[in-house]
Amino acid sequence: MRITPSMMSAGTLRDLNANYARLTVSQQQMSTGKRLSKASDDPVVASASMTLRASLGRYDSFDRSTEDASGWLGAADGALTAGLDRLVRAKELTVRAGNSGGLSDPNARAAMASELRAIRSDLISLANTSHNGRAIFAGTSSGDAYSSSGVLLGNSAVVSRDVDPHTVMQVNVDAIAAFGDPNAPAGDLFAVLDRLANAAAAGDVTALATAHADLDAATSRLGSVTVEIGSRGAQLEQIAARNASERERITTLVSSTEDVDLAQVMVQLKSRENAYQAALQVASKVLPPSLVDYLR
Amino acid sequence: MPSISSLYTALSGLTAQQRSIEVVSHNVANQATPGYRRQRVELSPVAVRPGFGDAGNGTRSGGVVINGVSQSRDAMMADRAVREQGALKTAEGVGATLGRLEQIYAEPGDLGIASQLQALWTSFNDLANQPGSVAVRTQLLQQADALTQTLHSAASTISNIRAVASDRVAGLAGQVNTLATELARLNASITSTPTMANDLRDRRDQLVAQLSELVGAQPHTTASGQFDLTVGGRSLVTGDQVYQIDGSGSTLTWVGDGRPVNAVSGEAAALLVTLNDITPRYSAALDSVAATLVQDVNALHSTGFDQQGVTGRNFFDPTGVTAATIELSVDVAGLPANIAAGAPVPPLNTAPGPLDGDIARQLARLADSAIGADSAYRSMVGSLAVEARAADQSTRVQADITDAAMNDDASVSSVSLDEEMSQLVTAQRAYEASARVLTAIDDMLGILLERTGLVGR
Repeated sequence: MRITPSMMSAGTLRDLNANYARLTVSQQQMSTGKRLSKASDDPVVASASMTLRASLGRYDSFDRSTEDASGWLGAADGALTAGLDRLVRAKELTVRAGNSGGLSDPNARAAMASELRAIRSDLISLANTSHNGRAIFAGTSSGDAYSSSGVLLGNSAVVSRDVDPHTVMQVNVDAIAAFGDPNAPAGDLFAVLDRLANAAAAGDVTALATAHADLDAATSRLGSVTVEIGSRGAQLEQIAARNASERERITTLVSSTEDVDLAQVMVQLKSRENAYQAALQVASKVLPPSLVDYLR
Repeated sequence: MPSISSLYTALSGLTAQQRSIEVVSHNVANQATPGYRRQRVELSPVAVRPGFGDAGNGTRSGGVVINGVSQSRDAMMADRAVREQGALKTAEGVGATLGRLEQIYAEPGDLGIASQLQALWTSFNDLANQPGSVAVRTQLLQQADALTQTLHSAASTISNIRAVASDRVAGLAGQVNTLATELARLNASITSTPTMANDLRDRRDQLVAQLSELVGAQPHTTASGQFDLTVGGRSLVTGDQVYQIDGSGSTLTWVGDGRPVNAVSGEAAALLVTLNDITPRYSAALDSVAATLVQDVNALHSTGFDQQGVTGRNFFDPTGVTAATIELSVDVAGLPANIAAGAPVPPLNTAPGPLDGDIARQLARLADSAIGADSAYRSMVGSLAVEARAADQSTRVQADITDAAMNDDASVSSVSLDEEMSQLVTAQRAYEASARVLTAIDDMLGILLERTGLVGR
C-alpha cells in the first residue's frame, strides 16, 4: 500500500485523539470519583445503582417512621409504667381501708378518699400523655383522650407505621384496651377509682370490696397492655437494628457499584498519560521529514 | 544523420519535462488541499518510423508526446469512502440525539426524576407520621409541585430536540439543493471541456462527499464520465438535471411529486430517525411515567378523607396525564388542608378521625410498586442507556470503517512528497539532458553549415 505524509498525519491525529479520549475518561473518573458519568457508560451498573438508590430512599422513610414509632411506644410505655406505680399505691390504700377498723376514723377516711381522687386525676393526665403534640391514647381523633373528669373522648382507631419493607406496626394503644370500657358494667379504670374513693369516704365496706376486685382487674389489664407495649418496643428495636445494617449494606453496594477504585484508576490514568506522551513524541519525530529535507 | 527534425525531437523532450515539472509543482502546492487528487503527465513516445529523419511531409518522427494530465483516482475506493462517510454521519447523529436525551435525566444521580419521586414518597410517609402538621402537608405539596416542574422541563427539552431536528431538516434540504445544482453544473462543464477538468473533478468529488454526508446520496459514474446521484433509489442528479427536495414540515419530500425521500444514510437519516422514532418513543415513555403516577396516586387519594372528613378529591389533575401537562389538581394546589391522608373506616367506609394517616402511608408504599411510576421510569432510563451505548459503539465501529475506507482512497490519491521530489529530480535531469541533446544537434548543424562546402572556395 502506498503511504503518503497526509495519510500519516491523519492517522497520527486519529491515534492521538483516541489516546486523548481515553485519558479524558480516566481523568474524569479520577476527578468525580464515579465510574459512570452517564448511564450509557455501563447500562447494567447504572440500572443496578438506580434500584439501589431507590431502596436507600425507602430506608430514609423507614428510619423516620421507626423513630416516630419508637417515640409513640416510649411515651406509651412511660405513661403506663407510671400509671401502674400509682395503681400500686391505690391498691395499698384500698387494702388498708379493707382491714378491720381501717375506715373507723372519719379523718382517715377523708384523707384516703382524697388521695384516691388524686391518683385518679394523675391517671387521667397520664392517659392524656402526648407524643409530638398528639394524645397517644386518643386513636385518630384530635385533642385529648379523656376529659379532665375522665370521660373518653378519643376513638379506637389503629395508628400504624411502615417500619420496614414488610412490617406495618401498630404504634398506639387503644384507650379501651388499656383503661377499660366505660360502658362495661364495672366501668373503666377512672370509674373504678371514683367508686373506690366514694366507698372510702362513705366507709361503705361492701362497696369497697366490690371496687377492690374491679381495681385488681383494671390493674391486671393495664399490666398486660404494658407488657405488650414492651414487647412491641423490643420488636421495633430489632427492626431498627436490622434496618440500620440493611442500610449500611446498600450504601456499601451503591458505593461499590458507582465509585471508582482509586488505586486502579490512578494506575490507569498514569499509563494512559504515558501512552499519550509517547504518541506525541513519536508524532513530533516522524511527521516532518521527507525527501524534501534531504535534497539540496 | 542529424536533421532539423531532431531539433524538434529534443524540443518535445524539453516541453514534456517542463510540463512534468509544472504538474509536480501543482501537486506539491496542493498537497494539503482537501479533496485534491494527485495528477500525472501522461507521456508516450512518438513512433520512430522507417525513413527516419524524413520530415519533409511535415510529420514528426521520434520524440515524446503529452497525452494529457491524468488524475490518480480509484473509482471503487472513492465511492466506498463517500458511502462510509454518509453512514458515519447517520451513526453520529443518532448517537448525539440519544446522548442529549440521556442528559435530560442525569441518572444515576441525586438530581434526577428518580430522586424527586423518592422525595415525594418520603413526603407522603412524613404525612402518614404527622397527618396534623400543616408544615408537613405544605412540604408534600411543594415536593409534588417540584416533581411536576421537572417532568414539564424534561418534556419541553424533548420537544426542543425535535424542534432543532426539524429546523435542521429544512436547512439541510436547502443545502442539498444548492450542492446538487452545483454538481449538475460541474457535470456539464466537465463534459464540455474534458481536458481541463481535473480540478473540476476534485471539486465534484468533494460535492459528492458532502451530499453523501447530508442525505446519503450515492454516486454512479456514467459512461460519459458524469456523476449521477441517487437518494434511496431515486435520482437526485442525472447529468445536468437536478431533482430538488423539500424539507418543510419536519420531513423530506421530493419537490417533483411530494413523495417522502427515503434517506437511509447521512445526516438526514439520523434526523428522520430522531423525529420519527427516537423522540416519539421516549416522549411516550416519559408520558406513561407521568400517567402512571397520576393514576396510582389519584386512585388511592380519591378514596381518602381530609381532616374535615371530605373525600373523593384527586391529588393530581386527572386530565393531565402527560409529562408536559401533569399538574396538581385544583382541589389540593395551594390548599394543604385538602390533602386526604385518612383512610375510610370499614365496614361503611365512613370518615376516620382527623389524625388518621393511613392513606398517606399506603401512598408512600407506591414507591415499592413493581408496576409504578418509579419502576417505569427506571426501565425507561435503562433502555435509553442500552440504546445510547449501542449507538455509541456502532458509531465507533463505523468511524473505524470510514477511516479505513478514506485511508484506502488516500493511498491512491494523496500527494507523496517523496514521489514528487523524485519525479522533480527525474524531470529536471531529463530536461537538462534534452537541452544537452539540443546543443549537440545545434553543434552538429553548425559544423555542417560552417565547415562543409568549403572545398573549392
